[in-house]
Amino acid sequence: MRRWRHESGLQLALLLGGLLIAAPFAWVVAAGFRTQISLLMGEVWFTPTLSAFEEVLFSKTSDFLLNVRNSTLIGLASTAIALAAATFGAWSLHRMRWPRWWVHALLLWALVLQMIPPVALAGGWFVMARAVGLDNTLMGLILAHATLNLPMALWMMGVFVRDVPQELVEAARLDGASTPTLLWRVVLPLVAPGLAAAGVLCFVFSWNEFAAALNLSMRQTATVPVAIAKFAQDFEIRYVQMAAAASLSAVPALLLLLVAQRWIVKGLTLGAVK
Amino acid sequence: MAANRHGEMGRRTALGLGAGALASGALPRRAGAQGRMAPITIVINQSPWLDSFQRTVQLYERETGAKVDLDVNPFAGSLEKQRNSVRARQGTTDLLIMNSGWFAEMYFGGFVRPITDIDPGFRLEREVYTLGDTIFFDAEKKTMTPQGKLMSIPISPLIPLTYYRGDLYRENGIQGAPRTFAQLESNARKLHRPPRMYGIVQRGARGPHTVAYDFYPYLYGHGGSIFRNQAENDYTVTLNAPEGRTALDYYIRLAKEAGHPRTAALDQAEVIQAIVTGRGAHMITVVAAWSQMDDPQRSAVVDKIEWAPPPSIEGRPTAPGLGHWLAGVSRNVPDDRQRAAAAFLAWFQTPAAQIATAKLGGIPINAAAYRDPIAEERRFRWMKPLAEALPHAVNIYQFPEASEVIAVLELGLNRAIAGEITSVAALNDMSSQIAEIMAKNGYRTGKLEPLR
Amino acid sequence: MGGLGLLPVLNLVALGFFDVRWAEGQSTWSFVGTTHYAALTRDPLFGAAILNTVVFALGAVTGQMILGFALALLCSKATRGRVFWRAVFVLPVLIPGIVIGAMWKLLLNPEFGALAQLFELAGLTPVDWLGEPSTALFAVIMVDVWHWTPFCFLLFLAGLESLPRDVYEAATVDGASAWQELTRITLPLMWPTIAVTFVFRLVLAFKVFDEVYLLTGGGPGTATEVVSFTIYQRFFTEDRAGYGAAMAVAVIFLIFLMLAAAAAARRRVQA
Repeated sequence: MRRWRHESGLQLALLLGGLLIAAPFAWVVAAGFRTQISLLMGEVWFTPTLSAFEEVLFSKTSDFLLNVRNSTLIGLASTAIALAAATFGAWSLHRMRWPRWWVHALLLWALVLQMIPPVALAGGWFVMARAVGLDNTLMGLILAHATLNLPMALWMMGVFVRDVPQELVEAARLDGASTPTLLWRVVLPLVAPGLAAAGVLCFVFSWNEFAAALNLSMRQTATVPVAIAKFAQDFEIRYVQMAAAASLSAVPALLLLLVAQRWIVKGLTLGAVK
Repeated sequence: MAANRHGEMGRRTALGLGAGALASGALPRRAGAQGRMAPITIVINQSPWLDSFQRTVQLYERETGAKVDLDVNPFAGSLEKQRNSVRARQGTTDLLIMNSGWFAEMYFGGFVRPITDIDPGFRLEREVYTLGDTIFFDAEKKTMTPQGKLMSIPISPLIPLTYYRGDLYRENGIQGAPRTFAQLESNARKLHRPPRMYGIVQRGARGPHTVAYDFYPYLYGHGGSIFRNQAENDYTVTLNAPEGRTALDYYIRLAKEAGHPRTAALDQAEVIQAIVTGRGAHMITVVAAWSQMDDPQRSAVVDKIEWAPPPSIEGRPTAPGLGHWLAGVSRNVPDDRQRAAAAFLAWFQTPAAQIATAKLGGIPINAAAYRDPIAEERRFRWMKPLAEALPHAVNIYQFPEASEVIAVLELGLNRAIAGEITSVAALNDMSSQIAEIMAKNGYRTGKLEPLR
Repeated sequence: MGGLGLLPVLNLVALGFFDVRWAEGQSTWSFVGTTHYAALTRDPLFGAAILNTVVFALGAVTGQMILGFALALLCSKATRGRVFWRAVFVLPVLIPGIVIGAMWKLLLNPEFGALAQLFELAGLTPVDWLGEPSTALFAVIMVDVWHWTPFCFLLFLAGLESLPRDVYEAATVDGASAWQELTRITLPLMWPTIAVTFVFRLVLAFKVFDEVYLLTGGGPGTATEVVSFTIYQRFFTEDRAGYGAAMAVAVIFLIFLMLAAAAAARRRVQA
């Protein structure tokens, strides 16, 4: 009985928290089904219309499906690169005998990179991308996002790599495993949960990144946030179209998060105890 | 029906091209080369007139077989995009759509190539608005006068107009449009019923170019100015002259006694929001917002708004500050692309193309379009007041460091409107800061006696 | 990728000592020494921005950590619907910052925003959260708390689920109260996770830009001016790359000081 009351109290508190978090979200989604003037007049009841969704998806001036494709490709590729670099980097930093100061310097560097407002980096990236012909290509943005997310991934993967039992590594070495075999066969399975956790965060961050995407993309390579920002105009913030686009853009990230949730939590779980 | 209209438009535009060819003499060659015309990319920002521009471009593509790609950016990102492109060894965009806030930077920096250097046969159509002569630039003297070279063609001649509620005027027996500041004030007071209806809604927030832009029609309409004479390179700061003080005091009085209580926090989108939701009787806002007013999906005041040139004091002309968009050809793109961009501009400026633009919902840059019968149509009722005001448009800044001056104005005006400092203190303070910026950048400048 | 990270940063540091001007399509860099750094101390926006950003970052991160921890604790204790709640609680982090700004601007609008409507229903006078200098920063903090609490929640939940069960069982046997359990067992065990989350969020909070950009644009007055925004204005809008770069470098230095102070404080607590 006490246990049951305990549980319902918990559920009540969760419901309260859920409401606080979900209500504005629900309101945003609902806004996508309104007309601009109904929203601005503060009408509580409204007749739902699909016009905002239609405009976002099918109007001539909108490339939303292209934007979704771009964001997906950039998100996946930049995540893959960041994870690969972070895993090797973390392995190298924590498992090879680098001088301590060097390891600290690199980790510190990762932190500095993470601190710089992306607006201040974007200009320099554009010049570099232009110099090697990567401007207005998905590759330019993939590299930029991988760079932006690498510090976070490096920190997270560091935690997991340090966890790999030294005995396993030595046993594998005794069996004559080369470094690539060792990483692929022994280390990778052990850090997989970490990869999942870091990967999802990288993906979501890339999916929502705005400043670099704006500077490094053109019409054919624009990402979803850049497309959404176009609804915030000087004369009118086109709230309903923005809401519709935002609701649509949350779908892939939400799906990913739901599907990968088990691994993320497991991954973060293992990482967090260290 | 739609097909019919298109057919007519095509015919007229073709006629226009013919006329243009006669005028320039160079056009046949250009027209003949069009089959091989290089494709061009135009960098442009999202705006209410983008859709009409885009459709005008499609018309050009259909007529000439040329290929034009638009790189559409959020308003905030367009300048960064253009700077990135023009500063690179080779640019990514051929035609730059530049705002009044940054075209001077592009001229002074040498990023835009004079159109007549690209095509010596290029002739400016007679009735194209020169908008404070901002389409010309004399690189030697660093001035914008018709003696300079032709640098750009206007794309959208944006200036503020007075928007007012015609229906409320009729209900309250107010005669005529508000032409003077005295009329605007008395009408705004008459219609002021807070919090349901504000006499006027002003854009007092601090932003990139927000409250300062809102203040220019008041300042220049009262006979004030920021600098003594930019065309003569005299940058003596005249902001804190008595006219400036009258203007700022008027602006603040209007806000306090017949305006919105949150004036100091209102941005343009919110000012327009207040009008389309029927909560404001007047606003002085860029003409481009017209398309929102009569759209039932976006407005609760359909068919109720009327337009007039911004007010001035008795005996002075209206003095709207330019917020226009110009198209210039980027210096660092291949020659064939530069020529293709110039060819597009040659077409775009013709009366026929401009009438077509107007019909597609754009704001024409050629005076001839304002004499077209469409200017009599109810939905284009903003055209006549706009045509009346355009010749008086003032170019506020003729130098590339304007954004530093604007930043000073934004903070100073916003604080005065919020009541943090007095108008006199604000004007004196801003004036000395502006003089400092001008001196630092090597302009001939000076200060007036501080106001007391 | 090292280059992608290294070169722009070196470029930024170098820029801070120069003035860049453009003429005839060419840039000229003129060395100005530490002029920019001296000018920083006199910049009215920068001073306000630093203060606001520190208040914002500490306020927002503290709020997110507490809320995120509470939600994670609740979620880890619940026997039912954990998957469901987890999905609900992560929603806000999926929305791009730029949209968050626009949407909350509307929600908080004193004339037709949802919050104003709630206030009116309750018979209260709606507050102009973003327009009043006294409440604007608070409102921006609240929006950020809403946006990023899920991030803290996820990390904390993961941490909580990995805590060894046997310690808790022992505590239950000893008859420890829920409060004792929290302060004596959970918090100490969670300390590393809390520290990592704190550093992470603090660094991100210092970069806040997208949300402020649409919510308030730094106003009214300088009430919500934050450093990223000031850098953006000076660097891009006013095109003073050298000065903007100096500002960015100064900000990085300041974050370092804060992190070092936090680390020192933590060491003292542990000792």
